[in-house]
Amino acid sequence: MNEALEEILDEFEEIEDRMEKFEFLHDLSDELNQLPTEEWTDSTRIDGCQSEAHVKVWIDSGLVQFRGGADASIVAGLMGIISIAVHGQTVEYVRALQPEFLARTGLLNSLTPSRSNGFRNIFSRVKIAIGE
Amino acid sequence: MVVPRTDFPILNREIHGKKLVYLDNAATTQKPKVVIDAMNNYYENYNSNVHRAVHLMAGEATDSYESCRTTLKNWFNAERAIFTSGTTEAINLAAHAWGKENLRSGDVVLMTEMEHHSDIVPWQLLADDLDIELRYIPVKEDFTLDLEAFDASLDGVKLVCIVHTSNVLGVRNPIEYVIEKSHSIGAKVLIDAAQGVPHKQIDFEKSGADFMAMSAHKMMGPTGIGALLVTEEIFQSMRPFMGGGDMIQTVTLKGSTYQDNEHKFEAGTPKIAEAIGWKAALDYMANIDLEAEHSRLVEIAKWTSSQLEDLGATIYGRYSEQDAAVVSFLFDNLHPEDLAHYLDAMGFAIRTGHHCAQPLLERLGVKGTARASFYLYNTMEEAVEFIEAVKYVLEKFG
Repeated sequence: MNEALEEILDEFEEIEDRMEKFEFLHDLSDELNQLPTEEWTDSTRIDGCQSEAHVKVWIDSGLVQFRGGADASIVAGLMGIISIAVHGQTVEYVRALQPEFLARTGLLNSLTPSRSNGFRNIFSRVKIAIGE
Repeated sequence: MVVPRTDFPILNREIHGKKLVYLDNAATTQKPKVVIDAMNNYYENYNSNVHRAVHLMAGEATDSYESCRTTLKNWFNAERAIFTSGTTEAINLAAHAWGKENLRSGDVVLMTEMEHHSDIVPWQLLADDLDIELRYIPVKEDFTLDLEAFDASLDGVKLVCIVHTSNVLGVRNPIEYVIEKSHSIGAKVLIDAAQGVPHKQIDFEKSGADFMAMSAHKMMGPTGIGALLVTEEIFQSMRPFMGGGDMIQTVTLKGSTYQDNEHKFEAGTPKIAEAIGWKAALDYMANIDLEAEHSRLVEIAKWTSSQLEDLGATIYGRYSEQDAAVVSFLFDNLHPEDLAHYLDAMGFAIRTGHHCAQPLLERLGVKGTARASFYLYNTMEEAVEFIEAVKYVLEKFG
């Protein structure tokens, strides 16, 4: 796990109050390389989210590139975490990464994949884009 | 009188360290301890299969199970009450057991844009099989049904399916008018009463409806059980579509004969504990002045909606006397999913999304709403706390 991701997961673990966790998550949406709404298409849409969520993932010189956008702040924040996790990382590194790290944030009410705010679906999109 | 909060053990739990304020009652209601105890008592003291064995516990289980049916028939003044897994299965039962037997190619089933998916999809599936036509009564800007369009859509209609009370808008539909008009052209009427029965003791026979579908869990009973009420005439024109144990009189390798009571539509071991729990819920409801409680809840919903409106929300509902205490709303600057997460962090349970009524949401021009729905154990104080919580969220994230 990269250092920046470790840091934010540590930070989440230190925050006890759930509302403060959300405030922190809200700030993380700033870390996201925005995918402008003009570039939102059916192929960028993430299904299974209550919000409109779009991501674009590609590989440039062996490094994973991630951009995303969502109309719900929490989803944008979750994309921010994924961005920190994968953007600029090697394909091999991202291939080895499993989505379970999100549990450390303490944000999930349910571990059922379909109830994870589309997080798993967004993460799966990354995996598909790198040919997994 | 508000039902004692202490009757509902779950309301004592904390959510993320905060007091629970449960406002997702249109999705499911909480269960009073008497319901939980009745079900536990069955499993602890007389768990047995029903209708067959001669031993004592089987007799006790059968009597308790069937006493739910008797209570249900008395409560709703219905001739026939067929147990199902809930409203969805009840409507699917109507589609398969009655629709397949009584609808022909070219017949029309008329529904509304306000229906829950459970009262749309079964008829769409049937349309694939039978080549029947489906029509929909539009919803007007004031969130009521377009009755002029309804009047104009009746040609060829054999069945009208209408939701008693919308799970999104809380609007109570003019089922009396719809039933009278539909019957005048010889059409049958199915009422989806999932959101109606928790608030009102509906007289099925007096209503004139031909079918009425409901779920126990929306009225303080357990999940996994509901019922389809039908008139005797409808009952006699239905053919079983699920075969198996308990529904037969005789089975030979050449063919079978069926029970002549409701069991013929209840193949397999039925929902015994659930029926016992549902009866306990109905008995509990019998001690509540539902009419007075309903007025109190609608007042709370009305107040809540006006407060939300003052905070800038768009409200999807009207809160007439007979409507349900359901407040659907949206803020321009705050996504409902975000709001629901923030409120959850503060102990408030609300629902967001399309509420399994996508055609209605499309009609309203939105993808989803936030929905707070109130029930018997909710108080005005909780509504005030809810508004304070929404204000806090708006200040922080709006």
